Amino acid sequence: MRILIIEDERGMALEMEDFLNKSGYVCDLAFTAKKASQFMDDAAYDFILLDLGLPDKDGLIVLDQAKQSCPGASYIIITARGRVEDKIKGLDLGADDYLSKPFSLLELQSRMQAITRRKSGLKESQIELGDFSLCLNRRVVKYGEQEIDLSRKEFDLLSYMVLHKNRPLTRLQLSEHIWGNLSDDDYDSNFIDVHIKNIRKKMGSYGDTEWLQTIRGVGYKIKL
Amino acid sequence: MKLLTKLTLFSTVSKAVIALLFVLLLPSMVERVAFNYTNYLLKQQEKKVFATIKKNGIDYYLEGDSTYGSYTMLKEEYISLERNKLLLTPDTLVTSKRMIEGDTLVYRVLIRNFEYNGNAYTLEIGKTLASINQYNRPLQRIALSVLLILVVLTLVMDLGFTQVLLKPLKRIIRSKLDSPKFPYNEKLEPVITSTTDFRSLDEALINLMHKITDDFERERAFTSNASHELMTPLGILQNKMENILLSTQDADVLEKISAMMKTLGRLKKIVNALLLISRIENRQYSRQDVVALSPLLSEMTEELQPLMDDEEISCTTNIPGNIVIKQANHDLLFQLFYNLLTNAIRYNKKDGTIAVDEHFMADGNYVITIKDTGIGIPENVLPHIFDRFRKSASSGSNSNGLGLSIVKSIAEFHDLELNVSSVNGQGSSFAVIIPQAMIDRVER
Repeated sequence: MRILIIEDERGMALEMEDFLNKSGYVCDLAFTAKKASQFMDDAAYDFILLDLGLPDKDGLIVLDQAKQSCPGASYIIITARGRVEDKIKGLDLGADDYLSKPFSLLELQSRMQAITRRKSGLKESQIELGDFSLCLNRRVVKYGEQEIDLSRKEFDLLSYMVLHKNRPLTRLQLSEHIWGNLSDDDYDSNFIDVHIKNIRKKMGSYGDTEWLQTIRGVGYKIKL
Repeated sequence: MKLLTKLTLFSTVSKAVIALLFVLLLPSMVERVAFNYTNYLLKQQEKKVFATIKKNGIDYYLEGDSTYGSYTMLKEEYISLERNKLLLTPDTLVTSKRMIEGDTLVYRVLIRNFEYNGNAYTLEIGKTLASINQYNRPLQRIALSVLLILVVLTLVMDLGFTQVLLKPLKRIIRSKLDSPKFPYNEKLEPVITSTTDFRSLDEALINLMHKITDDFERERAFTSNASHELMTPLGILQNKMENILLSTQDADVLEKISAMMKTLGRLKKIVNALLLISRIENRQYSRQDVVALSPLLSEMTEELQPLMDDEEISCTTNIPGNIVIKQANHDLLFQLFYNLLTNAIRYNKKDGTIAVDEHFMADGNYVITIKDTGIGIPENVLPHIFDRFRKSASSGSNSNGLGLSIVKSIAEFHDLELNVSSVNGQGSSFAVIIPQAMIDRVER
């Protein structure tokens, strides 16, 4: 998969590149809209990650032009202005998703995977998880043929961890994924622990959940 | 009271007072004038008599006799001339009774003593009081009616002019104070008037409104810029930490980075909360949603259920399914109730309860109460719980002290009222009072 990162903040662009390279993507970096349009003229991309706050051009205009020169790509717009209008306009212009800064790289990757799944039209994307299987489209977890009753948040949490399997995931990364930007002031919430406990309890009554590991002082990891 | 009403009232009352004063003073004034005029008339007549005597001699009147008397037919006026041995009365003007041919009448009398050819004479010229006063009434009547006509005329003119005069003020009030909605983005038209006071008032208002709008826009821009400026470095930090987490196997490094990330999370929450409050206060949210209360709350309690189960807290919600809140922002209302509910969980005791109830007040407003059986709020802290960064001793480091500030901002944005009551050690109750106009019932 080939990705174009259009982001004027070098520090952020480099981190995104580093992360995506490790995840097996090939990245090009453009710090300006001008450079970006050169890249888009020369190559075809699967994903274009576009920061709307570019120094030389309004991001929404860049998006409009990019849609014409790279119609096959998927677009994720990145905003720091936090303005709802920008998000809505971006989605209206054909962006596939949006992320508000600051965002987690894991979140970025899972959004990209979701878009890929959606566009590839896979009816069934099944993931094996020890003795269990996870069906992302139908949002169910099965043990053999038996469906396990997980709540919506529990399923979100589990599937997020499965998508980022074999990586240590912190409570912050997990809680930001399932709660988004909801502004409660409870940053030391044990909510994630409660959910994990419940997942272990519900699935543990069917089979082995050794794959769901606790990393002391960090968070959790699914090891497969 | 409106200025126009006040001015109208003033000019009416002041004219009425003047008219009344005039009516009261008129009789005595007219009488006085008549009296003075009579005195003057009597003196004129005296002059005439002396002129005649000088010209024609005293016998012109006396015809050899020692007295002369003459009066008009109805005895309104008389004149008498008499030769005296000695002076009876000094020269004077006096009001006194005289008997003429059997009729006793009250006269204004001029008495004048003089010498003529060595003899002393007394001249008396009299005029009845009745004849003096006979014009008083009609005079008064005419004066009164003229006055009344003048009063009414000036009143009408005054009121008409006041209205014309105050019209620009009325236009200023309508175009600058009543109709525009903040922020004033529409172009403000100056009111055309020749009254300089109004013109400068209008100009001052327009300038002020432009300034407020400019400042407001600047603050809005500041929020947006601050958000950008803070969020980007936070994002870079977070992403760097994430990359380190993925590239190390060292448990010690993992733990440290994870702790840093937790601190970063705190920072993000604070910045997010401050931005949220500032955006709400800048009214950057719309109020166009119709929010069904029951689903909103049940979705929330369902999501929070694991947390409550973990603390063995039981929660009951009694919200009828047909109540909706109009002119609301769904996300903000969710945030408001979410913060209240998570507070009720966090400050509850193990095995405690949370009750979400509703009722209509006598004035038609709708109240939702969230009552917990938690640690409660000490009385001296109660007035400050909505202040920013205010932390209670019990919340410790688990709170940034912004949760209830957000609740308050959202409530103010929606014109909701918040009521808190608490018994220390027994629990707190938060009441959200929703105005009647925002409540609707729908068929399910």
